[in-house]
Formats: sequence, C-alpha cells, structure tokens
Amino acid sequence: MRKLITGAVASSAVLSLILIATNGCGVSKMNKTEELKPVEIRQYEGTKLSSVDDFRENSIRGPQQVDIETYRLRISGLVKTPKNYTYDEVINNRQHYKKTVTLDCVEGWSVTILWEGLLVRDLIAESSPLTNARVVIFHAYDGYTTSLPIDYIMNNDIIMAYKMNEITLPAERGFPFQLVAESKWGYKWIRWITEIELSDDVNYRGYWESRGYSNDADLDKSFFEQ
Amino acid sequence: MKNITKQDLSKRITHLLLIVVTVLLLITGFGITEFRIVEPLTFGLLTKSLAFKIHNNLWIPFTVLLGLHIFLSLFKTRR
Repeated sequence: MRKLITGAVASSAVLSLILIATNGCGVSKMNKTEELKPVEIRQYEGTKLSSVDDFRENSIRGPQQVDIETYRLRISGLVKTPKNYTYDEVINNRQHYKKTVTLDCVEGWSVTILWEGLLVRDLIAESSPLTNARVVIFHAYDGYTTSLPIDYIMNNDIIMAYKMNEITLPAERGFPFQLVAESKWGYKWIRWITEIELSDDVNYRGYWESRGYSNDADLDKSFFEQ
Repeated sequence: MKNITKQDLSKRITHLLLIVVTVLLLITGFGITEFRIVEPLTFGLLTKSLAFKIHNNLWIPFTVLLGLHIFLSLFKTRR
C-alpha cells in the first residue's frame, strides 16, 4: 500500500514537471497580451438585440474584403468642395451617434442592431452641397448602388455605421461603412460604401431599383413598383 | 384509357398541377435567396425580382390545389 502511494506521488510529481516544462513555466505567456475576438453586446437599454451572425448573406457579389490602407471615401457630385477621406479621417474628430434600428429585408427576415456611426448629413455638409442637389447616390465597393432623396438624409438622423453591437463591422456586414437607412427596406442599407455622390437626377435608380424594386422603399409600402 | 372515370381524371390533373406548383414554389424560393446561383443557371431568365413576383403569386393556387388534392383523396375511386 505504502509503495502504491509513493508511486502515485512520484508519478504526479514527474507529470507536473513535464507540464510546467512544456508550458515554459507560464512566465513568457503571462507577459504577452493576446487580442481576443471582440464580443458583441446582445442587449441595450432594455432592448434585446440580434446578433451580427443573424443576417443572411444576400449581397450581389458576396462579402467584400476592403483594404483599409488604400480605402478612400469620396464625397462627389453637386458639391462645392469634393472630398476624399481615409478611414481614420472619417472616424476621427467627428460627433458619433448610437441608435438601435431594425433592418427589414424584403426576403422576410429582420434584425435589430445597435448601430454606431456618424451622420451622413454632417459628412455632406462638410462638402457644401449645391442648391440643385436632389438625390444622394451611394456607391459600394462591389459595384452596388442605391439612392435616397437629399431631404430624407438631411431631415432625419441617418447614420453611416462603422460599428454594430459595439464591435467594428465585420467584412461580411459591410466594413468599413454601412448605411442605416431606417424606415426603408433593406436594399437601401448599402454596405461597403466607397462614394457618396450628390445629384439632381431624381429619376436615378440603383441596382435593385432598376430591376423592379420601388425607389421609395418605404417600409409601410410594397417594395415592388405598383 | 377508356376505364378512366371523370373523378380519376380530375384527381390526376390536380395531383399533377400540385407537383408543378410545388416545384415552381421551390425554384422561385431559391431564386430569391440564392439568386447569385439561380440567375446564371437559368441564363438570366429567373431574376430575383421575377422570382419574387412568381413566388408571391403562387400561394393562392398552391392552397387551392392542396385543398383539392386532400379533398379528392378522401374519396375512393369506383372500379
């Protein structure tokens, strides 16, 4: 019995030594700071939030990988001073806003997300829009386009989001920027925004709009042209 | 062929139409959610918007045919 106990203690000691040796005594690892995957929040001010994984992938060319080093956001068209911002220039030194908004897709699913970003009207105002500008056309990295009346952008708090549920937009969700076109059908919520163009062409139709979807895209109406 | 009664014929037509409508519902459903695959497969014929229009308008014929299919199946054919 005594031999058995001694043997067990000895084997435990040897095993412990091996484990410590293979882990490098845990000293070098403790000094390193490893970045863990960011964790999204799922509740905000009493509102239950959907997950960033609850979206269905329905973009026209699949998720886009935007290189942030070369990325530029252009403000162009009917403006006095066209702009060309880097990602940091867009994000930094601006008032940021948070808002819980539900995206309703024409496919029948919806997600409620806490969006964080900046107001599109603030960005446009910096370029001094001309008085004849009527429509704001958004262009995306994958060639997708959509448009909204300038009055809708200026008279509502329309956010261009860079965060959702407190984490930076993942590539498949539209990194670097997604439009939060509240009270509009999902096809107006353009992802991977690269250009905001002001135009006087009230008949302009974006990707899905030119394929039969309503240009107004109001949630309380059908998304098909009547 | 001459042994087929009117009841038989209506059953067959209903069942056949139900199959056609069900297949159409499935294809147009895929045309909505998997449009990046279905559109090139159909040589651009079944676009997402067309798939939506067909899919949304098929629920009435589908319900009617399903009802008929169940109703007609309750009666045994006389031989």
